[in-house]
Amino acid sequence: MAKTLTADKAGTGFSIRRETLVKWAPLLVLIVLCAFFAVMEPRFLSTRNFARILIAASPALMVAIGVTFVIIMGSIDLSMEGTVSVCAVAFAFCFLWLGGTLASWAWLALPFAMLVGAVLGFVNGLIHVKLRIPSFMASLAMGFVGTGLAMVMTGGDRIRIEDALFRSLLTERILGFPLMVYVAGVFLLVAWFIQTRTTLGRNFYAVGGGEDLAIASGLNVNRVRVLGFTVAGVFFAVGALLAVGRIGIAETATGNNFMFLSITAVVVGGTALWGGVGGVWNTLVGVLIVFVIGNGMVVIGLPGYVQDGVLGILVILAVILSTDRKSISFVK
Amino acid sequence: MSVEKLKPYFPWITLTMLVLLVGAFNPSFLNPASLVQLVADIVPLFIMALGMTFAIYIGGIDLSMQQVANLVTVVATVYLVQYGIFVAVLCIGAGFAIGAISGWITTRQFVPSFVATLAMGFIALSGARFLSGERALSMNAEARDASFGWMFGNTAGVPHELAIAGLLLAVAWFLQTRTTFGRALKAVGAGELAAVASGLKVDRIKILAFALSGTFAAIAGLMFSVKLSGGDANLANGFLILAIVAVLVGGTPLTGGVGGVINTLVGTLIVVVIRSAMVYLDVDATKQQMIFGIILIVAIAMTIDRSKMRIVK
Repeated sequence: MAKTLTADKAGTGFSIRRETLVKWAPLLVLIVLCAFFAVMEPRFLSTRNFARILIAASPALMVAIGVTFVIIMGSIDLSMEGTVSVCAVAFAFCFLWLGGTLASWAWLALPFAMLVGAVLGFVNGLIHVKLRIPSFMASLAMGFVGTGLAMVMTGGDRIRIEDALFRSLLTERILGFPLMVYVAGVFLLVAWFIQTRTTLGRNFYAVGGGEDLAIASGLNVNRVRVLGFTVAGVFFAVGALLAVGRIGIAETATGNNFMFLSITAVVVGGTALWGGVGGVWNTLVGVLIVFVIGNGMVVIGLPGYVQDGVLGILVILAVILSTDRKSISFVK
Repeated sequence: MSVEKLKPYFPWITLTMLVLLVGAFNPSFLNPASLVQLVADIVPLFIMALGMTFAIYIGGIDLSMQQVANLVTVVATVYLVQYGIFVAVLCIGAGFAIGAISGWITTRQFVPSFVATLAMGFIALSGARFLSGERALSMNAEARDASFGWMFGNTAGVPHELAIAGLLLAVAWFLQTRTTFGRALKAVGAGELAAVASGLKVDRIKILAFALSGTFAAIAGLMFSVKLSGGDANLANGFLILAIVAVLVGGTPLTGGVGGVINTLVGTLIVVVIRSAMVYLDVDATKQQMIFGIILIVAIAMTIDRSKMRIVK
């Protein structure tokens, strides 16, 4: 979506410092935000409050990581709301059908939900690549299909998951943080492994960095794209599982609000929408920034109607601060 | 006639086929009076899609439109008694200003329009929630009829909303095809670096495009508020995605430079025909969303002109 000019003044001491600064800017923004809220209200720094932030952020982090891979390829995936809903509902039905407790065969519902996510992502990718429909449109329409499918499956009902073992995702705490935070951490490491240690991960960057070059060097770009959407679908499913674990309810609305939230977080973290730049750590920082802002405003007691506006202003500032203005000629 | 020559007419063909298909299943759909009413009902959506066309035409996107419309419904409701018909100036001014600020943040601060407009939308939402006191407000009926009663009603069988929509479409079409500004928009959408190199003041053009989309969002919000006789920070929710879909289905790609306001007219009609067809064909309410998505994929696959897209992202 944008063109980068050649990195000017590469090699001089100043430019290295500037690049380093830009690279670490999102993290700096996060630290400054935390410091600010801590000064305004010391209770912000308590373990309880951090646990609250991380619980809220875990499902969104999974969804945002999924879409990060797609954005690195220079595409976009807007199907997350539908996919999360379908995975949550599919998980709930499968789980209850197989016995309704993790101690039985019902644990199979967990991989089943991830399989459902993978299939949805795969179909999404196929529609995008085979019908040559831009991913924005293809995935948006797939999102409608997903939300609709979840609606058809539930008929508008909510499904309660009351199994104590599954709910221990939220109720069981280690060092003050519930299990779901650690689960999210494990999948973050998995995502980091995919990104840095697999051919597929490097291919995402190759496609995003310059599709012509990737094709010229013999890469099967279409295959990489479809796989990217499939991986994203799996992470959406993990996000759905954590969301169900957090609230104990699976319904059509489980996926609501994930779309703009996750993409905002990805961009705030420093991953460029035009692809090739960024990664899962950026997304972690971006998600934390968004949720720290949300939580901090509640903790310091800002009135509800101001919070949306402040979030908007801070998001813009965070992106401005982490943009390397000298290497961009324009954005779209 | 070769397929190449037919390509610009794909959206029209899709629309005609859809209408005939629905009419074949349920002939009452083709009743002219109900068709006119159907189209009149979606005028606010169409106006919003018109504005969105400008943002997408230059290769950006405006995600603040829904919140701008929300804010305007509240502003119009609160200040109607005080200012009468001139509240429209206030509303449209607010839309123009919010759009222009979004444009400034995008062009001068290098924040992608996706994020910049989304964030400006949050700010507008804050304004709407503050001004409405987080309640659903209703308009003073007398002041409404005195100032904006003309917006609704019929003259010689033509609903006034349709006339307003036609007028705005004419303005937008004139801007796009008959002014240097319109040409500049196309140039920016087709290739921004080339536009800069040829001496266009690209920043100003882009800011103006976003300001225009904000203005149209405000007009849509105003009509909405008069139609429903009230204002609320959530009144226009659900319109944003449909407006984007309408623009894209009409054949204006997100990369910009191709398509335009006439395409958006067709796109909006396609979206509306699909939606209302499900009512006419008695599709189960729980299945409507899913079928809408599937038909959408088919419609886009048939509509979009891929010949100018080398890489599909």
